[in-house]
Amino acid sequence: MTQSAAAKAGRPHAVWAIPGVLFFVFFAVAPMVLAVYLSFTTWNGLGDPKPVGLANWQKLLHDDRLTQSLTVTVLLTVTSWAFQTVVSLLLGVWAAGRQRNRAVLSAIFFVPFLLSSTAIALLFYALLDPNFGVIHQDTLGSTSGAFLAIVFVGGWQFIPFHTLIYQGGARQIPDVLYQAAAIDGAGRYRQFFSITLPQLRNTATTSSVLMIVGSLTYFETVLILTQGGPGTDTAILPYLMYEAGFKSYDFGYASAIATFLVVAATALSLALVKLTGFGAMRSTREGM
Amino acid sequence: MESYSRRWFLGAGATTLLTTGLTACGSSDSTGSSGTVTAFVYGDDATKVQVKAVTRFNASAAAKKAKGRIKLEKVPGTDYPAKLRTAMGSPNAPDVFFNWGGGSIKAYQEANQLVDLTDTIKSDPVLSSGFLPSVLAAGALKGKNYGIPMRGMQPVILFYNKSVFAAQKLQPPTTWAELLDINKKLKAADITPFALGGADIWPELMWLEYLVDRIGGPEVFDRIKNGDASGWGDPAVLKAAETVKQLIDDGAFGKGFSSVSYVNGGAPAVFAKGKAAMHLMGSWEYSTQLGKFPDFAKTNLGWAAFPKYEGGAGDIRNVVGNPTNYWSVNARTGNKDAAIAFLRDCASEAYAKDLVANGDIPTTSNAEKLLDSSPNPEFAKFQYQLVQQAPAFTLSWDQAVDPDVSTPMLTEINKLFVGKSSPAEFVSALKGLK
Amino acid sequence: MEEQRPRRRRHWSRRPNPLAGFGSLLWLAVVIVPIYAMISASLTRQDKALGNNALKPPTDPTFANYNTVLHNGFGHFLANTALVAAAVVGIVLVLCVPLAYVAVRTRTVWSSAAFRLFLLGVAIPAQAVVVPLYLMIAKLNLYDSLLAVILPTAAFAMPVSVLILTGTLRDISEDLYEAMALDGASATRMLFQLVVPLTKGGISTVVIYTALQAWNGFLFPLIFTQSDGPRVLTLGLFNYVSQFGVNIPALLASVVLSGIPIFAVYLVARRALVGGLMGVGGK
Repeated sequence: MTQSAAAKAGRPHAVWAIPGVLFFVFFAVAPMVLAVYLSFTTWNGLGDPKPVGLANWQKLLHDDRLTQSLTVTVLLTVTSWAFQTVVSLLLGVWAAGRQRNRAVLSAIFFVPFLLSSTAIALLFYALLDPNFGVIHQDTLGSTSGAFLAIVFVGGWQFIPFHTLIYQGGARQIPDVLYQAAAIDGAGRYRQFFSITLPQLRNTATTSSVLMIVGSLTYFETVLILTQGGPGTDTAILPYLMYEAGFKSYDFGYASAIATFLVVAATALSLALVKLTGFGAMRSTREGM
Repeated sequence: MESYSRRWFLGAGATTLLTTGLTACGSSDSTGSSGTVTAFVYGDDATKVQVKAVTRFNASAAAKKAKGRIKLEKVPGTDYPAKLRTAMGSPNAPDVFFNWGGGSIKAYQEANQLVDLTDTIKSDPVLSSGFLPSVLAAGALKGKNYGIPMRGMQPVILFYNKSVFAAQKLQPPTTWAELLDINKKLKAADITPFALGGADIWPELMWLEYLVDRIGGPEVFDRIKNGDASGWGDPAVLKAAETVKQLIDDGAFGKGFSSVSYVNGGAPAVFAKGKAAMHLMGSWEYSTQLGKFPDFAKTNLGWAAFPKYEGGAGDIRNVVGNPTNYWSVNARTGNKDAAIAFLRDCASEAYAKDLVANGDIPTTSNAEKLLDSSPNPEFAKFQYQLVQQAPAFTLSWDQAVDPDVSTPMLTEINKLFVGKSSPAEFVSALKGLK
Repeated sequence: MEEQRPRRRRHWSRRPNPLAGFGSLLWLAVVIVPIYAMISASLTRQDKALGNNALKPPTDPTFANYNTVLHNGFGHFLANTALVAAAVVGIVLVLCVPLAYVAVRTRTVWSSAAFRLFLLGVAIPAQAVVVPLYLMIAKLNLYDSLLAVILPTAAFAMPVSVLILTGTLRDISEDLYEAMALDGASATRMLFQLVVPLTKGGISTVVIYTALQAWNGFLFPLIFTQSDGPRVLTLGLFNYVSQFGVNIPALLASVVLSGIPIFAVYLVARRALVGGLMGVGGK
């Protein structure tokens, strides 16, 4: 068999991918398209959607609540990302070390991830109840308290996961790089900034994309802990959408918010991926 | 090991199909099978009366004749309207469902999903003379009946803790000035004057409902209820908002009220334990306390009417709250006869007796003579007379208006109570609602 | 002349790091204190819990709260959740492994387009499509069934799974394929004899990630199910809030119970679980 024939043989026919693509298109992509369609209709859950043109979008552009919600969402995402990335990175690198005690502690650190978002939100909802919980002051009643509670709860739950990601990434950094640096006389902190951080670039991108898209799943946390409160101060976009859809039964408007949300999230993910060259699937070990 | 991975893969596929198949077979029965009639009820302490009614009906001759059994589904309270809406929009809609009349069923009526019960009631003596006419009318839309009363009357009452009042030598307030005075004295004694389930928001609504009524009379909200959003601009609304703000700033509700919930028992507990001296709440507070803190309910729970506001246009006898709750019938039900036969039981003496035993006041015409057998005849008679003598009974605002008005309205009320909106901002935000 | 030997320093990961040590202990406290409070409160009698300091161990510990939870449908919710998790994992594997195989091995316009579709799919948040999905599920007569939860959950677990699998597959060297091709192997045989064994790490990562997504999913069960029959654990917990109310001990007991199954798996298969999740980052 010639080289090229060997290369061509045994390649799976594209047909194999069809079931997966169809399934995904039906249950994920088609609803997305439908959401865009619904944003141009009005529907209250009963009967059929009725087209209303740009009415929902005009309402969206003039809605003060949307601006506030957008601000809160961005603030929450950025704060969570900063908090979680710093702690996960440090813990992950630390955990990559091979000491025995580090392994034991890492095992304990992982436990929060085993609980569901719902369970964790409930846990802190119970602990933060001003009358019957642990802290006898109204943490969730103040804007900053509620906001920080959400950031903290999100971190408590997801830092273990991202720590693992960074740990995996750190373990894969080839020793030779550190040895070379040590020979050059670089100290611990210098090695961290010059070797560890750059080598974790791909890991950081994976982790960050997952974190940012995942911070939209703080929906459960917001629903259970603060219900978007106090007032509307922690009503992130997903919550606003839920409220418009399942409390006001204005599904057309909710779909407009949803479409807006997806466009924003996609743009953000694309930007992140492009900025870090992740899409090319380049290895950090090029040239070795 | 090739066979291992191939077998493993096929096994995964088979398991998938199997489990998916199992779940498809095991999914719940949809309505439409004429044997089961599904009824959605608001899942709180008072469902025991409905549970008994279902057992009674399923064993009765009427059920056999209509060839139907009732299956009662208790939907947790926080989610009830949303769950009802999603269920009604699906092929698995309930045949019979709990509601508050007014705005809560308007959407269903407009989508032609309700059975018009007017003629059924007219032609059936049990139904036509079984209920207080004003209550039946309150469940109607545009003159047609869509609901049969199935719970007690629910005026909002000012409850108070008798032993705390006795210790502080206080009497329940009859004027607003007295209320403010009591407020001051309780604060001095380090007791929170009022329990408030701020997290649910509708307990806060009750304060505004009464204040607007006492200050401006029931006409103010009537205007708004009929679709006139400029009605929010009535000076009574602004004054009520300012009064409420004054109360909050004076510490009348304590500090953490926006995190306390009524629905999960937080506010009743705060009240029962004596941490708060008073609780403005619907009459169901009595049966809630009876269920959760029976000793408190039996010995220390006191009640009074909401005080008068000096210089206000509202009659002190006016009442706000829910006339009652209703059963409505889904137009797409598979067994209308069984559904209506079940509804007839609500006019029966057995049903009324169960309600009375639970501490509620039935809205049936035979209610008055049953009051003596209530666990608390004094409270029963007080409530009955309160409603009977009321010149006006305003339906809870969040049930009277459309959901797409009530949701933002509740949000604005929440913001007012937590201090995010000033009274003036509150009014202008409300005026901007559709 | 003797070579100047540099002073051998121990590898950075083996030297003690007091600052990091302190930081790790701090985080340990942050992790352990809520868990301790949760367990301690769950063992407290209900009437004693009110207004109590949850950090003190209970004076009169009781399992009554756990009893309450178990008698309120917990077992049923657990069984439903397990079924959902199994079904979702199955669907994802059956659909994604061939898909990733095609994406990596077949270099047509279509396969790279399909791959990019999934890349973008990572960014579609489930919340955004809840409303149209609800409409679709109602029309398909699947509302209030476990399938209504399983199918969308599987679909939304696919993008990350495809990403992980393609990442692992990319590392299989072309030579191995060519060697098998020279042996006259078909694509199917290559899949089962070469690809699957070599991507066990990626597959276990996908299994774990997907199972956890399904196990902890809340939004889809919240919107697409309503009655007790198809209720899953997370939704059961949510309903316990209004059911148990301020019975904080019972509520926390339910949280503890909900964590036990996964904790058991964790104890037994910690290496696999952790190794699998670490695989997400290595790529």
